[in-house]
Amino acid sequence: MTVIDFHTHLDEYWFGRPMLDRDRFLAGMDRCSVSKACIFTLRGFSGDCRRHNDALAAHARTTPDRLIPFVTVDPKEGDAAVRELHRCLSDPIFRGIKFHSWLQAFAPSMVRQTMLDILQCAAEHEVPVFFHDGTPPYATTFQIAALARWAPRATIVLGHAGLADYVQPAAELARDLPNLYACPCGPKAGDIAHLVQTAGAHKVLFGSDFGFADWPLLAERLDDVLEAGLNEVDLSKVMCGNASRLLRLEPS
Amino acid sequence: MATNNRIIDAHAMLGVENHLAMEVDELLRRMDVYGIEAAVARPMGAELVIDFVAGNDRLLSTPNRIFAWVTANPWAGVRALDELERCRDRGAVGLFLHPARQGFMPTEPMVVPLLEQATNFNWPVMFHTGTYVNADVLAVVELARRYPSVAFVAGFGGFADMWFEMPGAMAEVENLYLDLSMTWSAEIKQITTGSGADRVLYGSAEPRNRYPVTLRALDRLDLEGPQRQAILCDNVRRILKLP
Repeated sequence: MTVIDFHTHLDEYWFGRPMLDRDRFLAGMDRCSVSKACIFTLRGFSGDCRRHNDALAAHARTTPDRLIPFVTVDPKEGDAAVRELHRCLSDPIFRGIKFHSWLQAFAPSMVRQTMLDILQCAAEHEVPVFFHDGTPPYATTFQIAALARWAPRATIVLGHAGLADYVQPAAELARDLPNLYACPCGPKAGDIAHLVQTAGAHKVLFGSDFGFADWPLLAERLDDVLEAGLNEVDLSKVMCGNASRLLRLEPS
Repeated sequence: MATNNRIIDAHAMLGVENHLAMEVDELLRRMDVYGIEAAVARPMGAELVIDFVAGNDRLLSTPNRIFAWVTANPWAGVRALDELERCRDRGAVGLFLHPARQGFMPTEPMVVPLLEQATNFNWPVMFHTGTYVNADVLAVVELARRYPSVAFVAGFGGFADMWFEMPGAMAEVENLYLDLSMTWSAEIKQITTGSGADRVLYGSAEPRNRYPVTLRALDRLDLEGPQRQAILCDNVRRILKLP
């Protein structure tokens, strides 16, 4: 079965601890039979987005068939953030936008106009906008899902599908909002079965947070989905088909 | 998977809560498939919050392989204390509290009589942890300081985004234990290394999580034999005084 991991982090270190380098990252993907991974920054959430966006692009250029970089910007910077977004998305190697509004210290409503500009840019480039969700006060599932209503032409992804305490609303919101998707990175098998049953298998994307820890995390998150009791067709959509569609990947 | 050890599940759930449901027959079936000798289960949903007598009865009427974390809503006052006494007489082994669902802060005065009763019964107390505000891991640490003779278990180990408080919390107080049922393996490893394997309890969080997922996660840690035995069986037997 082909697997695309829609939620990983490839960076140098985090809180002073070294993270996986690219070779070890790819080795972890191999070990868990993951074909492609959307790669996000971590340190870029604290500033200097441009440098971290360029670093992700450089990683992807070494292995373009496997690593798919997502750009991040700081919406608190207003027009400068939108300019950085345009700069990155003019390079087709970038296939999505990543925000972690908890770590980046904004609620979307605090930066509404800039966020609307960002979502418009995302819609023009046909790239998904991926948000951490499930954590108050800046990243509740409701705060993130609201963006799908603000910009119906943009594709919004709940990066943790409600995480611990918001799974039930995440499932219903992904069902009710055509442009809202759920990436169950953290929710467990019982939750994932519910997400697929409620929102539909076409709205759920596998993601792991791999890179934040070594391959056992990836294996664990794969188990979460594999033990959810999905049928083969639904499993294939969750593991690969939906990601391929949102990323506009060529059929292999 | 971990088939060479006796395995006791320190945290399963029985009843119905939103999209999750588990009946005793299904739990026993899953336990048999994965070689789980015994499980300690707690109520969920309405049977945790309002109908806690019914929830406790559901647990206390199960076969011998399933032991009971019983609950009572602290807002019920004297009725809660009477219920815990009734449960003690019927063989309950510990107190489970869910501050987010039951609607209180762990340090609020209304909880004191329940904790004193647990102390008198020589029961451990498992708190749900990880939900912001009410189920703050560090609030349970405060209680562990106030009741040093009571074993407190951090149910769900701060899942999700209070996980990073757990290693420090475990270092702060010696009478706090990790329920690993929802915890990612890197954190289990960190806590096992930092605070010792005797502070970690294997739990499944069935029906939310699954036996194969939690057992494989533990396998990948490559723990030494005595550490595995402690986590999978010995700690929960000791703390809950199981046969």
